Amino acid sequence: MSENHERSSFSDHQARILAEVLDAIIPPSADGLLPGAGRIDLAGAIEDALRQTPEVLAMIVQGLSSLDELARRRGSQDFTALHETDRREVMEELASSQDAFPPVLILQTFAAYYRSQRVLEELGLEARAPHPSGYAVEPNNFALLDAVRRRPPFYRQC
Amino acid sequence: MTAEPVDVLIVGAGASAAAFAWSLAETRMNIVCLEQGDWMDPSKYPGLGGDWEARQLLGDFGFSPNTRGRSEDYPVNDSASPIAASMFNAVGGSTILYAAHFPRFHPSDFRVRTLDGVADDWPLDYASLEPYYDVNARMMGVAGLAGDPAYPPKVVPLPAVALGKVGRTLASGFNRLGWHWWPSDSAITTQDYEGRAACINAGTCLSGCAHGAKASTDITYWPAALRRGVTLRPRCRVREITVNESGMADGVVYYDADGVERTQKAHVVVLACNGIGTPRLLLNSRSRQFPDGLANRSGLVGRNLMLHPYAMVTGIFDERLEGYKGPTGCCIWSHEFYETDRARDFVRGYSLEIVRGYGPAGAALWGLSTGRISPGAGHHEAYGALFDRAAGMVAICEDLPDADNRVTLDPQMTDSNGIPAPKITYRLSDNSARMLAHAVARATEVLQAAGARDTVAEAPLQPAGWHLMGTARMGTDPARSVVNEWGRSHDVRNLFIIDGSIFVTSAGVNPTNTIQALALYIADAIKKNLANLFD
Repeated sequence: MSENHERSSFSDHQARILAEVLDAIIPPSADGLLPGAGRIDLAGAIEDALRQTPEVLAMIVQGLSSLDELARRRGSQDFTALHETDRREVMEELASSQDAFPPVLILQTFAAYYRSQRVLEELGLEARAPHPSGYAVEPNNFALLDAVRRRPPFYRQC
Repeated sequence: MTAEPVDVLIVGAGASAAAFAWSLAETRMNIVCLEQGDWMDPSKYPGLGGDWEARQLLGDFGFSPNTRGRSEDYPVNDSASPIAASMFNAVGGSTILYAAHFPRFHPSDFRVRTLDGVADDWPLDYASLEPYYDVNARMMGVAGLAGDPAYPPKVVPLPAVALGKVGRTLASGFNRLGWHWWPSDSAITTQDYEGRAACINAGTCLSGCAHGAKASTDITYWPAALRRGVTLRPRCRVREITVNESGMADGVVYYDADGVERTQKAHVVVLACNGIGTPRLLLNSRSRQFPDGLANRSGLVGRNLMLHPYAMVTGIFDERLEGYKGPTGCCIWSHEFYETDRARDFVRGYSLEIVRGYGPAGAALWGLSTGRISPGAGHHEAYGALFDRAAGMVAICEDLPDADNRVTLDPQMTDSNGIPAPKITYRLSDNSARMLAHAVARATEVLQAAGARDTVAEAPLQPAGWHLMGTARMGTDPARSVVNEWGRSHDVRNLFIIDGSIFVTSAGVNPTNTIQALALYIADAIKKNLANLFD
């Protein structure tokens, strides 16, 4: 539903960093059925979601650069060259600096991941918008109301 | 637009304005309505796209005007309130995004001082509004089930919404405890009705109903009002109400869609801008005769803001509940704890409104916000334990008026036209805090009785400032109220207020049905008093 988007805000390098970060936010499931968030091209979906708030998108781009910078301070060529444990530490370092980038990216990742066609299908859901088809719901059976119906009116008369 | 005065000028095109305009239009007066928002295009509602939850929870259809990024909205400084302000600016107003949960007030809600010794009685009673509730039920298309012992008998034109597995599960919990529950009155068509299609249970009510089953006033009253000859001008943002030498309102100054300043003269001005927008406009309408804001000789404009503190209690169940199917906020209600019980440590009471679960993205975001789902290791296991297994209820607590809870003008913040923005200052009362605690405990109890293996409580619910009331209260004493018993300003006799601002108390249920019934009541009062309207 959301996996083919034209990218414009992220360079190829930033897109690689983003994929690694997204995979850390939502890794693949243990059984391998659900993909990591970095493996289903959420960058376009996140860009789309933030199109109305370019300052937030810019903050995410800046956040990716910050990860690179922190990685270089550790002697690495860039963030993607770090070992997984070191990546996690770098991300935690950025989060602890109270940078708004991590929580915003986590929110956007959750929102984008759980509208991905592949993820929805794996969860056993129809990968479609609620409208125009809607959903069938079991018909009402008011037998459960019998006890309440026997109750006398209890609003205050006035 | 024109120097020629119109007979009646309404500011705002939401729930109350639509009902009022439709009713008053039968007089054939020249009625014009100015609305700062635009007509909505249902084909662009989020529910038609895969990103509907993100748009509702994080994007352009969010609850807060401060985060939506729509030019039609104005900002609200709500930093001095534990509850954020929520409203929507468009033709239809906040009915575009409301849940359409549509209870009436109880008869006791109009006699709070007499019965419980708190706040004030209303200058009218349930019987006075009852015929207008009935009209409103027909015009909005209310679904429900007759016979609720919590209420006097009432008109319910359409069958109840589908309760679904969530409703059935929670109803069984209420039954186990012997507590009241009933299918909610909902302004949602459950059958084809007056040109509107029956609800398809899409579950997108809170971000606009692309199907037209939910009764937002852009598809109910407004088309009927326009057929009766009312003129509605969208994208017109009113800056101030002007007065003549006699101290009577004589029109408004507004900005059109291009930001050009315009004036519109009128013989009668009617405010329908909600409990924040109306005091904002009055306070922005200062003049030599009214240096503290229009119609504010009592000093009460903006005071007594009531917001309905909400508690939200969610149960986590083992079985899947299909909670993303069906009207989000309309299922069943309980009024077991509605009326005052002196054995409790608070006065007045609350209603419980069952809300269904979340869609796939909503579940993840709710889990994140409540610490139930984290990024990283264990994410999928936590999500699997939560998605489609969470359902619960909100408690809508009666908020008693407090003069220190108020709307003022922010000294710095403005809207896109440079008009000073409102600031709300609100403190949760001790009575409300005790009521919230009681509600959380009872809701937890009923969820456990229904089979929940775990519960999560959020109180007060921060984004829940949906109900804006009390800031231009009605009453018979000009020293203690802003408008009289039929909505006319005590100070400015051709100025009327018809929105939730005029509520004396807030009751413990959603207010839209009562706002509209009151607007219809005031329209009828104006019709009856046309010959001596300003006496």
